Amino acid sequence: MDIRFSDCSVKFKTHVALHPFSLVLSERRIGIIGLNGSGKTTFAKLIDGLVKPTSGTVTVNGLDTVKDARAVLSAAGFIFQNPAQQLIMPQVMEDIVFGLKAHGLAQVEAEARAKAALARFGIEALGPRRVHELSGGELQLAAIASVAATGPDILIFDEPVNQLDLKNRKRVVDAIHALPESAIVISHDLPLIEDFDRVLVFHEGRIVFDGLPAASIAHYREIAGC
Amino acid sequence: MKTSNLVVVALFAAVIVVLGFLPPITLGISPVPITAQSMGVMLAGCIIGARRGAAAYLLILVMVVAGLPVLSGGRGGISVLMGPTGGYVVGWIIGAYVTGLIAQSTVREGQPELRQYIGFFLASIIGGIAVVYAIGIPWLSVAAGMPFSKAVIVNLPFIPGDLIKAVIATLAARAVLAGYPMLPSRA
Amino acid sequence: MLTSLYVEGDTFLHRQRPGAKLALILVVGLALYFTGRMAVQAVAMVIAGAIYFSLPMTVREAVYRLKPVLLAIAVLGLINIWLLSPQEAAVSTLRLLAVVFLAAAVTATTRIGDFMETITWILQPFERLGIIRAADVGLALGLVLRFLPDIFAHYEGLKEAHAARGIAFRPLRAIGPLMILALKDADAIADAIDARGIRGDVSPSNGERR
Repeated sequence: MDIRFSDCSVKFKTHVALHPFSLVLSERRIGIIGLNGSGKTTFAKLIDGLVKPTSGTVTVNGLDTVKDARAVLSAAGFIFQNPAQQLIMPQVMEDIVFGLKAHGLAQVEAEARAKAALARFGIEALGPRRVHELSGGELQLAAIASVAATGPDILIFDEPVNQLDLKNRKRVVDAIHALPESAIVISHDLPLIEDFDRVLVFHEGRIVFDGLPAASIAHYREIAGC
Repeated sequence: MKTSNLVVVALFAAVIVVLGFLPPITLGISPVPITAQSMGVMLAGCIIGARRGAAAYLLILVMVVAGLPVLSGGRGGISVLMGPTGGYVVGWIIGAYVTGLIAQSTVREGQPELRQYIGFFLASIIGGIAVVYAIGIPWLSVAAGMPFSKAVIVNLPFIPGDLIKAVIATLAARAVLAGYPMLPSRA
Repeated sequence: MLTSLYVEGDTFLHRQRPGAKLALILVVGLALYFTGRMAVQAVAMVIAGAIYFSLPMTVREAVYRLKPVLLAIAVLGLINIWLLSPQEAAVSTLRLLAVVFLAAAVTATTRIGDFMETITWILQPFERLGIIRAADVGLALGLVLRFLPDIFAHYEGLKEAHAARGIAFRPLRAIGPLMILALKDADAIADAIDARGIRGDVSPSNGERR
């Protein structure tokens, strides 16, 4: 994985979300922490092109997020804070198949890939279930499966264990740890990123610390005043 | 169509379907009970505008044709269109569009409340009543083999209820405009 | 929440393509409207009725589905007897019944998925004109069916909130709040759709939208 930010900044109409910065990401497990409104989500969305930089460029494995937007979407998958809003078909299986068919697969192949995606995360039983009947943990795993099914090399998570009880939290944490894909995880849940390769601390639109988890978490605690 | 607009259209169509499950309401001055769903045309135009409102009703039409019982009373299927009241369903699509055109042209955020109420009410009665009947009544006349003038008379008992609907829709639309405005503006 | 009107079976109609059945309705419907002869309408009604009631569902269910429209046809028929003549009333009533029975039979023998394929195919010329994208219709339908229970839950939530505060719940007053609750998730859902690259050549728009 090779993600490069060159002199990037993101300015919205009312405020600056991210002040200019340059950065290279290549580690397999990267954590992103910081107070609410510090720019974490904007930064994460820069990676797969959901947010375009106001200045500078972002490249993912050599692909520019503005010029090669579609290719970047194939390379990086984004799992949003609310998994219920991420699943867009009534049934779990339908949702995954729909996403695969939109990428050009035929029905039969899509169904096979979808089953494999569900099996990967141990949720084959959820295939025929209706999305609105799923629990928080089941929703989160189903959302991960649906995004991972199309084969991105990089998975970006925005608060993946936010609303989960202990049991479901463990299921999702284990799933994330076992991913062969690279993972970039925004998390308020600090234990989740404790053994990651690198953790970035955001504060008021800037990266104020960049290093190993223990040091980053300590710095974050200082900023938060606890 | 932007994805966000497509999603708004789909979610609005879903609300219209849910409104169909609400119980009909009998009100004093109307001989016919009014259903929440039948206000949908006025609500569509006044809340999400002409293009998205019409698209929402086009989606409803597709669902009806495909065989989903989305209309109040669990009605659905091609028989709804081929029956005497089929014209109204088509009329809804154009009615929502006209309601939206008028609402978008006359109502703005920040206007005095009264102006907004008047704008939504006008949009509702022209788009939600006049246009719908303009298409529904001729269709009824042909489908039922009834002279046009008589077809008009057959619809008259529904007018008081329709006016009440316009009032309710106006109030609801204004509340939405104040809380979470979604009406695109039109130069 | 919504049970489709499709009835499982293997009749002649079941085996025909949706496009052919839709064409049949149009042709038969038009033909019936161009003739005023009662005999023709009567025969058509009997045949269409026979087809409809021979489908694998109870007579009760078959009638129940059409109750509203049968009622409307009956009322209109009575009005026509009074306005026109028993003869003309009979012609128009029989014609309506024939058309409605046939249409209902087609609906009952065609799966939603198959219909959607046909509708998507019919929309292709519109796609070339740039008015609508055929694939979007399938996505839109999926979204409706997906979020229907959620919106219903919003409605139930509003009822409960009123009950909890001891305020009388007036369904009509709930329409505004229901709209807001239902529609405010639109942007987040749209983001998720765009992030999965589901809509062909549409790539995500930038950050803030409102």
